[in-house]
Amino acid sequence: MRTFLLRRLLLAVVVLFGVSVFTFLAARVVPADAAAKWVGPKATAAQIARARIYLGLNDPLPVQYLRYLSGLVRGDWGESVVTHQPVLGDIKAYLPPSLELLVLSSLLAMAVGIPLGILSARYQDRIPDQLSRLVAITGVSVPSFWLALLLQLLFFQKLKLLPVGGRLDSVFRLAHSVPVMTGSYVLDGLLAGDWALVGSALKHLILPAVTLAAYPIGLVTRMVRSSMTEVLGEDHIRAARAMGIPNRTILGRYALKPAMGPTATVLALSMAYSLSGTFLIEAVFAWPGLGRYAAGALIAADYPAIMGVTVLVAIAYVVLNLIVDLVHAWLDPRISLR
Amino acid sequence: MNHRSIMAAVLLPLSLLLAAGCAPKSSSTPPPAQSGPQVGVYVNSSDVVIFWDPSDSFSNEIIAMHNLYETLLRYNPATDKFEPILAESYAHSTDAKTWTFTLRKGVKFHGSNKEMTAEDVKKSIERTMTRGKGAAFIWDAVDKIEVKDPTTVVFHLKYAAPLDLIAASSYGAFVYDVDYAESKGGETWFGQGNDAGTGPYTVESWKKGEDLVLNKFDGYRKGWAGKHFDKVVFKAVTEPATRQQVVNAGEADFVNMMPYDMLKGYENQPELAVRNAKSFENLFALINTKKITNPKVREALALAFPYDAAVNSVAQGYATQSRGIVPDGMWGHAASVPQRKTDTARAIALMAEAGAKDLKVTITYSSGDDAQRQIVELWVAELKKIGVTAEPKGMTWEAQLDLGKAKDPGQRQDIFLMYWWPDVTTPHSWHQSMFHSEKDVSFNLGYYSNPAYDAIIDDAVKLAGTDRAKAAARYAEADQLLYNDAVAIPIYDIQYARVVKKSLKGYVDNPSYPHVVFWYDVYRE
Repeated sequence: MRTFLLRRLLLAVVVLFGVSVFTFLAARVVPADAAAKWVGPKATAAQIARARIYLGLNDPLPVQYLRYLSGLVRGDWGESVVTHQPVLGDIKAYLPPSLELLVLSSLLAMAVGIPLGILSARYQDRIPDQLSRLVAITGVSVPSFWLALLLQLLFFQKLKLLPVGGRLDSVFRLAHSVPVMTGSYVLDGLLAGDWALVGSALKHLILPAVTLAAYPIGLVTRMVRSSMTEVLGEDHIRAARAMGIPNRTILGRYALKPAMGPTATVLALSMAYSLSGTFLIEAVFAWPGLGRYAAGALIAADYPAIMGVTVLVAIAYVVLNLIVDLVHAWLDPRISLR
Repeated sequence: MNHRSIMAAVLLPLSLLLAAGCAPKSSSTPPPAQSGPQVGVYVNSSDVVIFWDPSDSFSNEIIAMHNLYETLLRYNPATDKFEPILAESYAHSTDAKTWTFTLRKGVKFHGSNKEMTAEDVKKSIERTMTRGKGAAFIWDAVDKIEVKDPTTVVFHLKYAAPLDLIAASSYGAFVYDVDYAESKGGETWFGQGNDAGTGPYTVESWKKGEDLVLNKFDGYRKGWAGKHFDKVVFKAVTEPATRQQVVNAGEADFVNMMPYDMLKGYENQPELAVRNAKSFENLFALINTKKITNPKVREALALAFPYDAAVNSVAQGYATQSRGIVPDGMWGHAASVPQRKTDTARAIALMAEAGAKDLKVTITYSSGDDAQRQIVELWVAELKKIGVTAEPKGMTWEAQLDLGKAKDPGQRQDIFLMYWWPDVTTPHSWHQSMFHSEKDVSFNLGYYSNPAYDAIIDDAVKLAGTDRAKAAARYAEADQLLYNDAVAIPIYDIQYARVVKKSLKGYVDNPSYPHVVFWYDVYRE
């Protein structure tokens, strides 16, 4: 186990080094001058020249890269050329809302997708399977932007049940002192025992979380169904049935468990993607997450910010893949962590 | 972990979620409760604050900054008069190189609660100049700032300049408590969402990407008698459809940007009104005078331009065709300069007179700007009719600018589309930046060089500080020269359209302070 972790950590360092080289070079070859960005649209040539010196853009490329790399290691991820704020500080501000959304939507995906998948496998090619297929296909094919607007129209405009966007009610915020601990209002509310905060935060989370969960619900449903269908046809399942083991036990213990490995893999990949790939959902729900930050950085050609988000997403992929491997080993003892 | 515990871990947060969702009607649905403090809500189409440091501020944040900070003067372009804000009065020498401001007494800073003095004015402007960021360049004319006594500050200039307009600028002219801010950490402290101004409101809370809440400053110089908002909430809602829903639900008092096609829906609403206002922002095309040297060809390109389609189809009527390069409503606007109309036959004739055949031109524009893209596409089709093949190039602003400044003039574009708006409310901003001869290209991206024109605007800027009427006449003269030489195609002056609650009273649009609501002056009826 220790060797496995050590090997994966070393591999992670290599991957992250590669990502840092790639993002650094990509930022240098695109046709936009970071110094011009730094000083703004009406800057004079002299101001741009001063900014080039300040940003170290006149130094040779290897020197610039080494400075960037040592900064990354030391926790200095550079300054945004648009806001002049430290990129890591920005990421720290925008990451908690994203994680909050991501965790809830993943739980939702599992809570809906797994039972639907089981139902589908259990009643293969019958009505429950067809209905679950309909849900799954709708989930993966409906554009998130459109779904978000539909949900807003229904739950905010028509039913007046849920807020249109943001993380907290304006009125609530004006009258309430919000504790600052983790940056996740739900978690902060739970830690502080502030149920009003938890309630307000959860209300705001529902629509974006449901929208974000639509795709992984479809994915998880289909993955559970196909894995379980395969397992249900195997000899040991037939043997179990012949031995009179209850169907519930067969489904839960013998068929579902092996199906969870591939499901965990797709869910983890979907989560890592969603970390910065949710800008449309975040834009519709005025959600101040990493996706919106990344999209803003892309539009403004804010390269230090883009590089920062890329490195973060790479770290997320590495960590989630590691977790998936551990989950695989836990679910299936035949897989050894060597 | 068995299956039950897995299911419990998954279902517990979801049941919480469900409970929250089934709770009574969301408290965010109704507008902010007005039984307590009066709360005004401003919905912005992008993040409200980019720069917190008042010296560096050069972006959206002025919509909040002008409620937190004040300037010496405030300019009213409708009357061409200055409202005394932190300065009670001012005077200048006959050569407009020495400007003396007498400051208001009893003005207090937020945070320190210290009374503002001339020393604070000097320190604020000097800090802005020293940092050299944002709009610091507006103070380029200042040689030194002298404190005569606690209420008198004198600006000595290197050359004649309209310092009253500069001191009233929407960017980079704020006065604040430098000592207090620096003692707290300066830029870092500002960056955490703090302020040190004298304005009617002070920051109550702010979190990156979320609402900015301002609270009234009890020590404000004008006091709080009468109708005023106690708090102001600035919300960033980037998605237009969501903005529309926020407006429909009555959650916003003022929305600064709505897509043109959504505005029509608000025209007959009982509680909402669409307020159109002139702006000092315009769109124009600069023609490369070094490549397209024949004025007849330039004139032909201008006559092939689809003016009506640009104004009525692309801007959907929320713009007016420009007359001259300086927008209508600003002093120095040349009302006498003719407006061109699309005239394909005349354009063809001019091309023939100039002997121009098989002309190929490249037109660069901002790729993210849909209006520019549509306009260029329409123009390309019109140019084809006069025998000109145009290649549109949508680029990021930086790339567009880089190409315009390419060391090899042969690589540069033929036509450059861009917007301009002033930092200081003066026509000089357009004339100097885009058309005055330049040794190194900065913004003169039509590469126009005309000594007669340069002499006029060099004279006009000197007059701007002493005799604005004469200066305006000189700028109009310069604008006529630009028309005669057909070096630029003024396209349209943009109109800002806002959706405002009819119950919001006292709001007056001031194009010198784009998108700013001076919240102290407005109230809810």
